[in-house]
Amino acid sequence: MTGTDDKRWQVVERQDGLWLPLSRRNLLMGAGGVIMASSLAACGGGSAPAPAGGTDTAAAGTPKKGGDFKLGVTGGGSKDMMDGQNIVTKPDQARLVSAFETLLEFDDNYQLQTTGLAESVSADNPKQYTIKLRDGITFQNGKPLTADDVIYSLQRIGTQANGLTGFAATATMDIKNVKKIDKLTVQLPLLTADSTIPQTLASYTFGIVPVGYKAFKGDVSTQIGTGAYKLKSFTPGQQSVHTRYDGYWRESYFDSVTIIDFSDSTAQINALKGGQIDAMTDLPANQVNAVKSSGVVPLISQTGGWIPICMAIDMAPFNDPKVRQAMRLIVDRQQILEQLGSGYGQVANDIYSPFDEGYNKDLPQREQDIEQAKSLLKSAGKEGLTVDLHTTNGASGMVELASVFASQAKAAGVNITVKNDPNYYGDAYLKLAFSVDFWGTRGYLNQVQQGSLPNSPYNETHWPPSSGEGSNFGDLYKQALAETDSAKRIEIEHEMQKAEYDTGGYIIPYFNSLIDGHSAKVAGLSPSKGTLNLAGFGHGFRTIWFA
Amino acid sequence: MKFLRGGGIAGFIIRRVLLGLLVLFLVSVIVFASTQLLGDPARAILGRDATPDRLAALHKQLHLDSSKVGQYFQWLGGLLHGDLGTSLASSQPVSSVLGTRIANSLVLVVLAAVISVPISIAIGSYAALRREKLFDTLSSNLMLLLAALPEFVVAVLLVILLSTNVFHVLPATSPVPPGTHAWDYPNQLVMPVATLVIAVAPYVSRIMRASMIEVLESDYVEMARLKGLPERTVLIRHALPNAIGPVFQVIAINLAYLAGGVVVVESVFNYPGIGLALVDAVSNHDIPVVQALAMLIAAVYVTLNLLADVATILVTPRLRTRL
Repeated sequence: MTGTDDKRWQVVERQDGLWLPLSRRNLLMGAGGVIMASSLAACGGGSAPAPAGGTDTAAAGTPKKGGDFKLGVTGGGSKDMMDGQNIVTKPDQARLVSAFETLLEFDDNYQLQTTGLAESVSADNPKQYTIKLRDGITFQNGKPLTADDVIYSLQRIGTQANGLTGFAATATMDIKNVKKIDKLTVQLPLLTADSTIPQTLASYTFGIVPVGYKAFKGDVSTQIGTGAYKLKSFTPGQQSVHTRYDGYWRESYFDSVTIIDFSDSTAQINALKGGQIDAMTDLPANQVNAVKSSGVVPLISQTGGWIPICMAIDMAPFNDPKVRQAMRLIVDRQQILEQLGSGYGQVANDIYSPFDEGYNKDLPQREQDIEQAKSLLKSAGKEGLTVDLHTTNGASGMVELASVFASQAKAAGVNITVKNDPNYYGDAYLKLAFSVDFWGTRGYLNQVQQGSLPNSPYNETHWPPSSGEGSNFGDLYKQALAETDSAKRIEIEHEMQKAEYDTGGYIIPYFNSLIDGHSAKVAGLSPSKGTLNLAGFGHGFRTIWFA
Repeated sequence: MKFLRGGGIAGFIIRRVLLGLLVLFLVSVIVFASTQLLGDPARAILGRDATPDRLAALHKQLHLDSSKVGQYFQWLGGLLHGDLGTSLASSQPVSSVLGTRIANSLVLVVLAAVISVPISIAIGSYAALRREKLFDTLSSNLMLLLAALPEFVVAVLLVILLSTNVFHVLPATSPVPPGTHAWDYPNQLVMPVATLVIAVAPYVSRIMRASMIEVLESDYVEMARLKGLPERTVLIRHALPNAIGPVFQVIAINLAYLAGGVVVVESVFNYPGIGLALVDAVSNHDIPVVQALAMLIAAVYVTLNLLADVATILVTPRLRTRL
């Protein structure tokens, strides 16, 4: 990678926070430190044509071949790129999954499945995994997929200088010593025990690329993955065209897929209504009912994505737990859900990762309590508190959340000035006492690793505290990573969440939904809990077809 | 101020070209200075990962290690050689990033001008002739209404009418696929061009009407009529040339506005022109692209104003003879 590439990545490096879906578990059923390959294979791996997730029952009719599928995506621009293991914009995500696949896959319920390139991923012991590849898979140039490609792929991500999104998640891997056992078997040793490895391998930025692979630099023939569609042409900021790979190991239906950049959703909706595109990402919530009359079908997926208000627990005035507590009691979560998500979403409780089996549902739902908030502020000596809340147009809802929260805070006598700073992620990010951020769906421990540890890349709240409740958070995290008994691990996770719930720095009002739209002739789409739009872009455009 | 006179039309044009270059030079200073206000571009690009060594490397790459004055002349020198630098977002030369986009926007603006100018001159003139009659009342009110509508409203109304809700005769958006030309898709051009025509026509036709009314009431038109010249000759030979002077200025201002103001139309129709490129460049802190576009738009303004002044002088003997 050249310096220029690094730079491109850096420009929007924060965006991966939303778009990198790391989750984990639910397959770690084996007690005693061994994750049985059979438990994964039993989920429906073996037979090749199984549709991803197997939840496509909602789609009526028999799939038909043919047609040119056109997808409109917002959020792209001249910094668009293509890389089997990296993205900077949303259309990049669609491009990535069209051509590149992962070893394991999440289904639409965000459960891990062995439907991907590996027929099994098993833990030989807590510090070593074995990956067995499916036989007979070829790259789009006809080259068979082998262990060498997997080793190259993992080491490419694990090399910091490459600046890939997944790098942070390779921290526990002994990346230099990944070993080939035979043509289809790879041994992955770990530096420290990490039970989240399977979830990491299923995240889309862990795409498997062929040995020697490099990011797109103008030559489409360099973009060779194992996926259903092969890159035919690509102009950043405008569109990319992908044609079906006939040697694909699973079914796919369209002759070609075109991914078109849109600068705003009005044009996108019009193009969908007028039949110029067949599907679009991010239909504005207030348009859901309006577009139905024009034959557009909304696809609403409840995800685990969240837009937190972040209080730095070591900076005034939030270094006083009473002030943090008061702020959390000021929020009317239901009102925020109505105003920001038009009701599409679910109320949250200041802790994250709702789809994780370790998500603590027993913590009492925090409700607005202005009187209690006032008295807490009074006892903290912070009556009539005035504070700046920093936000930016980083993800939809970030600016609105700040405004709505500011107006709710007035009831408690707290004066909040919303600072909408376009350079927020460049200059001040992670150094602010009070700010708004955004995150996508992730498993609990993966999320902790990204945002709630002293060495996390995106720790806005400066959690955990150095003393008092939560000060043992980092130790608990390590215990949880190494714990293979899921009941015991969930217990540890509950303890971690309790600490964050009691004294943490996040205010999490709700988990948002992804709302996309498609024309009635597109079949095979059903809601998904994952981070990517349109059910992971129709699972890499292979489980959708024209009815 | 004798040295500012003389030389007839040619002298006038030379003086105005020199003045235009001076204006562009001043604009370049302002553009350069204002893009510096965005802060250290290297810091903005690197974000949280602005470690000292990476900052230094990028500073060097962007020529930020020399003095501000040095940087300015480096940029200006490149500009004069046609070297617009390298886009920070796409790592491509700015000229190749903007080339097709400039062509696309040019197609829109030229088509809009070619269609709207004759139509609005005709409407304005005819309304002046039929002053306070039905055509005048209808056209004046319609033009007033259209002038009051923001472009995006016009664009959205056109889309609703012609492509999504009422009729389905035209495409709702106009993406020009890479490698093709805007004119390869004439039906995609109809609505963006119509929107621009509607944006420009009211102003031009209203000033044409006002100017024509003034001329028609003048002594020389009355004289021409009294001499018994046919009304057609009176209008085309005597009234129109005198009425059109002020209109050139309005046309120039409107076309110059289009050059920078196509943003909204390009956004509504997802049309890949310079407007969208500018929005993209600003949001990416892509300073070389922002600078190139700002200079381009300034140059268009200067050129159109120059052309309008020359045209005005050519049709106005009173001004012409003073040169």
